[in-house]
Parts: sequence; structure tokens; C-alpha cells
Amino acid sequence: MKSNQNILFEEIYQQHHAMVMQMCLGFVRGDHDIAKDLQQEVFISVWKNLKTFRGASSYKTWIYRITVNTCLQHVKKKKKEPTFSISEIENQVPFPEQKTPEKRAISTLYTAIGQLNELDRLLIMMVLDNQDYDTIAEVIGIQPTNVRVKIHRVKKRLKKILENNGNG
Amino acid sequence: MVMDNDFKEFQNEWNNNKNNIELSPNGINTLYDKIKKKEKANYFFYYGTIIILLATLIVISLFFYYVAPVKEILSRIGAGLMICGLIVRIGIEIISIGKAKRMNTIHNTLTATENTIRFHQFRKVIHSIVAPIIVGLYTIGFYMITPEFSLYISRWNLLLIDISYIVIAIILFFVIRKGIKKEMVILSEIMDLRNEITE
Repeated sequence: MKSNQNILFEEIYQQHHAMVMQMCLGFVRGDHDIAKDLQQEVFISVWKNLKTFRGASSYKTWIYRITVNTCLQHVKKKKKEPTFSISEIENQVPFPEQKTPEKRAISTLYTAIGQLNELDRLLIMMVLDNQDYDTIAEVIGIQPTNVRVKIHRVKKRLKKILENNGNG
Repeated sequence: MVMDNDFKEFQNEWNNNKNNIELSPNGINTLYDKIKKKEKANYFFYYGTIIILLATLIVISLFFYYVAPVKEILSRIGAGLMICGLIVRIGIEIISIGKAKRMNTIHNTLTATENTIRFHQFRKVIHSIVAPIIVGLYTIGFYMITPEFSLYISRWNLLLIDISYIVIAIILFFVIRKGIKKEMVILSEIMDLRNEITE
């Protein structure tokens, strides 16, 4: 018989697995295997800390925090890896063999996001995921006004990258 | 306005792709397996070093109590220094575990980053100041015992032990230096991240 923690955990997993996977995919430039590992790391952390969750924020915000911190920890671990060139990144994004227009569009977006620095990547992905400035501020730990300024800058950078890549 | 329209398009692409991410049928079971493995690995990560150090402490203490109960004051101080060095090392390991556990991913990014900085600053101090002191104490203790040991061990064997200790000390020096360098690199990267967050 399943414990209450198992039931709650499975509910959380079902509701948020796609959001976490999408963030991880965007963060690692569309590398499906690494994203899957990162997603598992996030949910291992969720399981470990579920008992201490006091409801000060929503589960979604809480999971965002864990996802952002797990992604940043991944950078620390993998810092020694060589950096990618744009062509390498493009080859790395998913669906290389059968690119429908939709898949091509998301690949282009992953490639562009992958060229931002790590924090900017996470910020823009939360905006893409329709999160408001207050939620993002809560996740990052800074003022919403500061978030607004940062996001404005990141949007500009992303647009420039897409234009340079010929997709603007 | 143009940028906002473009961005709306990106958001649509993003959300369409998210909606296409399917739950793998065996995903939750795989996750439970990983959780079990991770819990085991964490246990060894946190307590493995302490268990090894405690075992060493017990072996050394038993050695000086039953096998070679040194009689001269100089030797007793030496044995005490070696044992104290190990006790301090175990204490540091326990503090280190507490600080490592505080680097939890549930905090907001700024707090998590600051906790990580504190942890690595602590480790830097340990590597650069405390570890050399402990090794120094252990070495002084070791050489304080050797005069009494020389009464029972042949000169060649004693020489061999002394030389091997010097080799170990040299290796330790490089290990500590590598540890300091590693901590410095990590610290500077995390500080850059903190600056990015707060700027």
C-alpha cells in the first residue's frame, strides 16, 4: 500500500514533470539524455524535501526553485566540459532526423537560449513558461523590479541571437 | 511591441512543446529506484569519511594502549598529538556535513548561492589552514614517538618508517594544494553567479 508521501509525490510528478523536463531541456541546449538526468535529480530533491514543505509558496514555485538550483549545480559539476560551438549545439538539439516545422522551431529556440549565460537561460525559460515577475523574484530571491530589468535585457539578447542565427 | 509579438510566438512554441512531453510509463518506478540508490550514495558521502576516520582513531588508540604502550613523557605527548589531530579532523568533518546539508536546492537561488559560497569558504580555510596544522601536529607527534620506538625497532626499520613518512607528507602537501586550488576556482565561479544575480 502506498504511503501518503508516495501518493503526493506521484501527483506532483505527474503535474510538473513536463515543466521540469522542458526547463532542463532548454538549459542543456536540448540534450535529451542530460535533461532526463537533471529532471531525475530535481525529483529526487523533491522527494527528499517533501516532508519539510510547509506551504509558504505553491508547489510549482517550490519546484521551480529546485529546478533552477539543480540546473546551476549541474553547471558547477560540468564546468570543465568544453564549450559548444553553434553548429555543435544545433546538432545536439533533439529530433535531428525528422524535423517538422514545430520541432525545427523549438530546436531553434533551444539553440538560441543555449547561447545565453546560465542565469539568463533560467530567467527567460520561466518567462516563456508564463510565470509572472513576482514568482520569478521569489524563485531567484531578488526584487520583482530587478527581475523586470533583467528580463528586459535577456529578451533583447535573445532577439539579437535569433537575428544573428537568421531566425529573427 | 514587435519584440512582444515575437516573444508571444516563442511562448506558444515553448508551451506547445511542453504539452507534447509525455509521461514515460515506467518513469515513476525508475525514479523510485534512483531515489533508493541516491539515498545510499548520500549516506556513504556524508558518513563514509567519518567511519574511516573513527576506525583509524580506534586502531591507533588500541595500538598505543595494548600493542605499544609508550612510557616516556615525550612519546605520550606525541601519541596524544596524533590522536588529538584525528579527533579534530573528525570534528571538522561533522561541521562540514552540517554545512553541506545547508546547501539545499529548496532555497531561493540567491540564498542557495550564498550557502554554497559559505560552504566553499569554510572548505578553503580547512584546506589552507586547519589541514596543514593537523598534518603538522600528527607529524610532530609521530617524530616524538620515534626515539622510544628506536629502543625496540632496528635502526634500518626506523629509517624506513621515517622515510616513508616523508614521502606521505610530500603526497599530502600536493593533495592539499590541489584541494585549495579547486576550492578557489569553485568559489570564484559561485561569486560570479552571485554578482550576476544581485547586479
